[in-house]
Amino acid sequence: MLIETKKSKFESLVRAYSTELYRYAYWLCRERFQAEDLVQETFTRAWQAWEGLRDDKAAKSWLYTILRNEHARSFERKRFDIDEVVDLDGIIDHTSAGPHEEIEMRQMLGALPRSYREPLVLQVLGGYSCAEIAKIMEISEGAVMTRLTRARLALRKLPGVAAPRKVKNL
Amino acid sequence: MNCFEFRKLLLTDPRVRTPEQERHLAGCDACESLTHEMEAFEARVHDALRVPVPEALADRVLLRHKIRAPALRAWALAASLVAALGVGIYFYRVPLGEHERVLTAAALGTNHPAVTAIAHVLHDEPRMLKENRGVDPVVMRAAFMRLGLNLPANGTTVLYFDKCPMTGGAGNHVVLQTPFGQVTLILVPDQSFGARVVVVDRDMTAIAAPHGAGGYILIADSLRNVRQTEKLLM
Repeated sequence: MLIETKKSKFESLVRAYSTELYRYAYWLCRERFQAEDLVQETFTRAWQAWEGLRDDKAAKSWLYTILRNEHARSFERKRFDIDEVVDLDGIIDHTSAGPHEEIEMRQMLGALPRSYREPLVLQVLGGYSCAEIAKIMEISEGAVMTRLTRARLALRKLPGVAAPRKVKNL
Repeated sequence: MNCFEFRKLLLTDPRVRTPEQERHLAGCDACESLTHEMEAFEARVHDALRVPVPEALADRVLLRHKIRAPALRAWALAASLVAALGVGIYFYRVPLGEHERVLTAAALGTNHPAVTAIAHVLHDEPRMLKENRGVDPVVMRAAFMRLGLNLPANGTTVLYFDKCPMTGGAGNHVVLQTPFGQVTLILVPDQSFGARVVVVDRDMTAIAAPHGAGGYILIADSLRNVRQTEKLLM
């Protein structure tokens, strides 16, 4: 009976979150096959560590954290994060005016440093608040806010996207 | 709050609107204009981040864990995936309506019926679909008629129909297999949940709208799919 409940809950989690976990994984590693492997591995570890899930409401964050750790373990090994001091102005040089806005935006998102892209993905796709993102990424809330601001400022330099206007009363 | 502070918060999280921000917006045309720009910008970012997901990913995960349901269900799922794939390729890109704002769950509030409905679909619907005991066409037609909605006919099948626990049993939970994919419809008679809203949460889109003597909530995996299904109901 207990096993059936566990299986049923596990299946619900897989169906509810595999899509958004895949997209999170994709934007972490930027490789489709690796992204699927990460999702598979995440659920394997979730199944193995099922007892660690005390609160069903925390399941989503729990899965995101497992995936993030798995990505760090599999693809980075040495360092978990990258240098924050990046010249965002340089990003614009990698873009080209393609026919599709979405492709163009994806190129820009891909060109963002991962430390800026990741909180953006967690906020826009995961629906997390700055405080929740800080917890998942194990950084301060202030750092999350800075990265989100810089990410958006960089993306707004895309052709067709209005640049932030100068404000008089700074 | 001055413009700088307003814009700093806007760039940090465009979904959040504090009372202070609202007050600033009321008196600042420039920031109001920027806010509208940011809404369109966020929609572009959202669309771009939603990279295509491999077909039947969840099934492959479950297969690996050997907890898949019986073969019959697998065939039904495969058939629906093939149908959804065909239509999905055509309807992949979701344009935002010019006159309809798409809100996030955080902006709308987690207690709003549309947000609750998305959570209900994600958490409970797989189990409900498994337990479905059949559909009484007379009762179902009456439920649609009560709200003045059409029961979609051509190309649409009803996968599930029963009382809806989230409406206290007064409403109905309907799962439709439409030409645009699987769509959930919550019929809510005799209750009003305010103005029409469109909300996106966890890769699902919901439209909640008043209609007749109550309202309905449509939930699907894209804005286009809920809108197309909505047209079938009218």
